[in-house]
Amino acid sequence: MYPFGKGAARLMPYLLLSIPVLLYLLLGFGPSMVTVLFSFTDASGVPGQSWNFVGFENYTTFFTSSDSGDRIASIGRSLYFAVAVVVIQNAVGLFMAILINKKLKGDVFYRAVFFLPVVLGVTVSGLIWQLIANPLGGPAQAMMNFFGTSSNFFGDYDIAFELIIFVQIWMYMGYSMTIFLAGLQSIPNDLYEAGYMDGASGWKAFKNITFPMIAPSFTVNMLLSIIGALQTFDIIYVLTGGKFNTTTLAFDVYATAFGSGTADYGLASAVAMIQFLFVFTVSMIALYYLRRREVEM
Amino acid sequence: MLKKSFSLLLVTALIVVLAACGKGSEAAQDGNKKVTLKIIHWQQENINNYIKEFNKRFEEKYPDVQVEYTTVPADSTYDQLMQTRMNAGSSGDADIIPLKFSFVGAPQEWSKGAADPMWKQWIDGGLIADLSDQAFLKNYNPTDVKNAMTYKDKVYGVNMGKVALTGLFYNKEIFKKYNLAVPTTWDELVHVMKVLKDNGVEPIGFGGKDVWPINLAVQGLQASIHDDQLEYIKGLWTGKTKLTDPVQLEVLEKTQILMNNAIGGFMGIDYGTLPSLFATGRVAMIADGTWDATTIQTANPAMKFGYFPIPGSNDPAKNKNLAGKYDMTWMVVEKSPNKEYAIKWLEMLSEKQNYTDFVNAAGFLPTQPDVKITSEFVNEIQPSLENFKLSWDQLFINRKNVGQYIKDASVHAEFLAPAGPLKTPLELAQKSQADWDAAAPK
Repeated sequence: MYPFGKGAARLMPYLLLSIPVLLYLLLGFGPSMVTVLFSFTDASGVPGQSWNFVGFENYTTFFTSSDSGDRIASIGRSLYFAVAVVVIQNAVGLFMAILINKKLKGDVFYRAVFFLPVVLGVTVSGLIWQLIANPLGGPAQAMMNFFGTSSNFFGDYDIAFELIIFVQIWMYMGYSMTIFLAGLQSIPNDLYEAGYMDGASGWKAFKNITFPMIAPSFTVNMLLSIIGALQTFDIIYVLTGGKFNTTTLAFDVYATAFGSGTADYGLASAVAMIQFLFVFTVSMIALYYLRRREVEM
Repeated sequence: MLKKSFSLLLVTALIVVLAACGKGSEAAQDGNKKVTLKIIHWQQENINNYIKEFNKRFEEKYPDVQVEYTTVPADSTYDQLMQTRMNAGSSGDADIIPLKFSFVGAPQEWSKGAADPMWKQWIDGGLIADLSDQAFLKNYNPTDVKNAMTYKDKVYGVNMGKVALTGLFYNKEIFKKYNLAVPTTWDELVHVMKVLKDNGVEPIGFGGKDVWPINLAVQGLQASIHDDQLEYIKGLWTGKTKLTDPVQLEVLEKTQILMNNAIGGFMGIDYGTLPSLFATGRVAMIADGTWDATTIQTANPAMKFGYFPIPGSNDPAKNKNLAGKYDMTWMVVEKSPNKEYAIKWLEMLSEKQNYTDFVNAAGFLPTQPDVKITSEFVNEIQPSLENFKLSWDQLFINRKNVGQYIKDASVHAEFLAPAGPLKTPLELAQKSQADWDAAAPK
């Protein structure tokens, strides 16, 4: 009847919850609202400088100014990045989870190894791959030289972006794997036994038992990787700094606010708003389909 | 009951911790009764080392001051740090902030609609201290004070010296081995590169991964190919000149030739490794600014090297001079609670002996008169500095929201093969001009 006790003690959970709520309002929600406000002004980001409301001018600038082509290209790149990362990262994650779930010898070791990049963090991962791709004596370059060619890797317009996608997948595949693994381990063995009696093994068992049963982990993984991929900024910053056509919409927010010598917080806020709407729309569409799929199954 | 009081205790503890967070740092400061003078800077080893040593002596002279010296990478990381520290206003997150150049880039009458550079917005906003009345300014050359430290007839910064950036460092031993002379014309430079290549020596190294180091070479070509850079830049605004003009195409063509002679994978080499690439003899020449001479010297003390202006033209007279910029301008934050000490710090740094030591450590050309340069390197390049001129990036004023082919530093050789996807200089020039035209104020 009284799960949290009687009298004043009942308020305890609310009191405890109010701390993160306050912190969130102060540090998360508040600044977000300021961003919304700023996106309709010509705020320069210089303290003491006055600013005015300019309506949708910043949004018009985004879509019609001279560099709009570059900005729209970066939206396209964001989508490309998201599709590649979501598909490959989850496929690889699922594959590894199934292998590890087989109760191999030393599976704990493999789990740790695959999960390690998640723990390392972006800067360290970025540094590792930069050292590998170092044109002066890095192992990747040595390998290219062995085949009689060379590459600029992260300084190459043709492959820099794909390399970033690769590093991003390398960093987070362990994360997807862990979630899939949790899903896999919740499948009761009886199902496979029953399936075996009916002649379902190998691919058939995977298709008809495993895959439907991990639908919730699938949804979680898809959503997390879609949102994560669309918001990726850090690894791009570390590896190329947005050069060599590797700017995505999320990076554009940073570049507009801090990139060139002149600050334009109004425009940067508008870019951030467009980024928010973009991520929101894509993830809502994804959520809708993923949920429907779960129900159908 | 016990549980209840425990959770109450927990909540109280949490609240106390949260409330204490904001005041924590101040309390600590009051504790040791010291003024913390905060200085930010970008990473440049030789200069950082000198400043650190100078800070120690400053602290000895003013025992109640403790200097907090923060350095971050010189790229956009520093620009961002400057911006965020400045935005923190009077909370004292930085007292002294150096600018990477002097007060250049303000819109001119011929550049209607150009954006204000950050420093101008700060000064206009009253965030930078006016130093006009400081006696130590008399230590500096009046012309340099006027050119580099003054804005609207008031002095807002202390400039530490000039640097040249449009030359190539060359390895004297390699040049001697193949009987090569310092090239004074473009054809001679092409010959030098050919001889080196024929002998299996990598002619040039660029820090291509950071992009801007390539632009140093481009600026060298601009300075020697253009008759008057400023006139050409003005022309871009009025439509009198175009980025597709023969002079500019020549700059791009020659840049492409330089890049074709560069070490393989140069677009993957970052600026930080450039000096060691050169100091270990893996390339015969590198495109870099004179400020890196001491870094090279430290990397290989036994090395013999020199510096010559990139000869973009076939007329030796046009190639004679180096171009560059006024480097490093210290600015004091107006609302800083430690303004008084910040000025004292600048005053002490401006003392003849300290300034001389600084210039020699930094490899700068002095903005104070009669400074004794001990650097053999600087003395050697002195003839090329007699008619020192400003480099392209100090003169150029860009339009707002311009596309990527003309953004920021304005010439983007990194798009040009072999560095980038565009095959010919004409393609790049046309794209740049298209971006420039599209950004024209309406």
